[in-house]
Amino acid sequence: MVRSLSIWLHGTSLSWAARGGVPWLWPLCETLHFIGMAMLIGIVGLLDLRMLGLVKGVPLRPLQRLIPWGVAGFVINLLTGITFYAGDPFQYLDNTVFWLKMGFIALAGVNVLLFYATGLSRRVDEVGAAEEVPRAARAVAAASLLLWFGVMYWGRMLPFLGGAF
Amino acid sequence: MNLLRAIEASNFSVWVRESGSIWSYPTIIFFHSVGLAIIVGLSTAIDLRVLGFAPGVPVAPLEKLFPIMWVGFWVNAVSGLFLAMADAPAMVTSWLFLLKMAIIGLAVITMASLKRELFRPTTSGDALSRAAKALAVMSLLLWTGAIAAGRLTAYLGPSAEIKGLN
Repeated sequence: MVRSLSIWLHGTSLSWAARGGVPWLWPLCETLHFIGMAMLIGIVGLLDLRMLGLVKGVPLRPLQRLIPWGVAGFVINLLTGITFYAGDPFQYLDNTVFWLKMGFIALAGVNVLLFYATGLSRRVDEVGAAEEVPRAARAVAAASLLLWFGVMYWGRMLPFLGGAF
Repeated sequence: MNLLRAIEASNFSVWVRESGSIWSYPTIIFFHSVGLAIIVGLSTAIDLRVLGFAPGVPVAPLEKLFPIMWVGFWVNAVSGLFLAMADAPAMVTSWLFLLKMAIIGLAVITMASLKRELFRPTTSGDALSRAAKALAVMSLLLWTGAIAAGRLTAYLGPSAEIKGLN
């Protein structure tokens, strides 16, 4: 299924543009991919650090109001990532490093789902300044930091271990 | 120029660029991304707060984030130095690289100024000055510029040709 999707993507004009048809598109998307990464890691990482007890003076409820900016960073990276993939699907399709990166993103997604589905986010919402979050929330925060930096690691290794650009 | 060529030809630069070791160029550039995420990411969060998003977040405790941002800065200063050494002549003679350095210089000055503005003993902390807001806008623009210039410098010099490792 991924293969037929890749073949279809390769025939689109997005693929043509990303492959060099529009020469500035690739560098632009790379720049946006790093901006999105900084937004995602900055907001989510700050939340994680607070849950781990680092900036305890900040109550959790207002801090969670920044989450849409982290989500915006993720969406930027999803769209620019699709553009990279479209540009040359076959350098990613059978690429272990690429799928490790996708796997880590999926795990980070499961981690977020657990945070909301178990009601942990609501309990964390009630945590005021100088208070500690439940132990489970600290585990979610630590997993989040590890997984997102892992995503970055595999992304950065794509050209070197994965042979993709 | 001779000095730059000597740096590029040094054992260390050759190792970074040509050893094919996972610990050379790939690991150094990974750390360069980690430092970026830390300093730009946390700056962005603080800037958004200063500009009035998430107004319920008290400003005073955010002071604790600045030492972490400086860690990000130094991770990138060191990793960036190693990367620049591997391509010394191409980098130092490139207006794009020099522009990147200038933008980062301004961004760091902006960061330090914002910190001073936010945590002056006289300010209550939550009544944010117009100066603080102006600095937050500058910070967002400068880091965006630094990232754009940084992405483009990756196409300069012999390291741009590094491909798969053995």
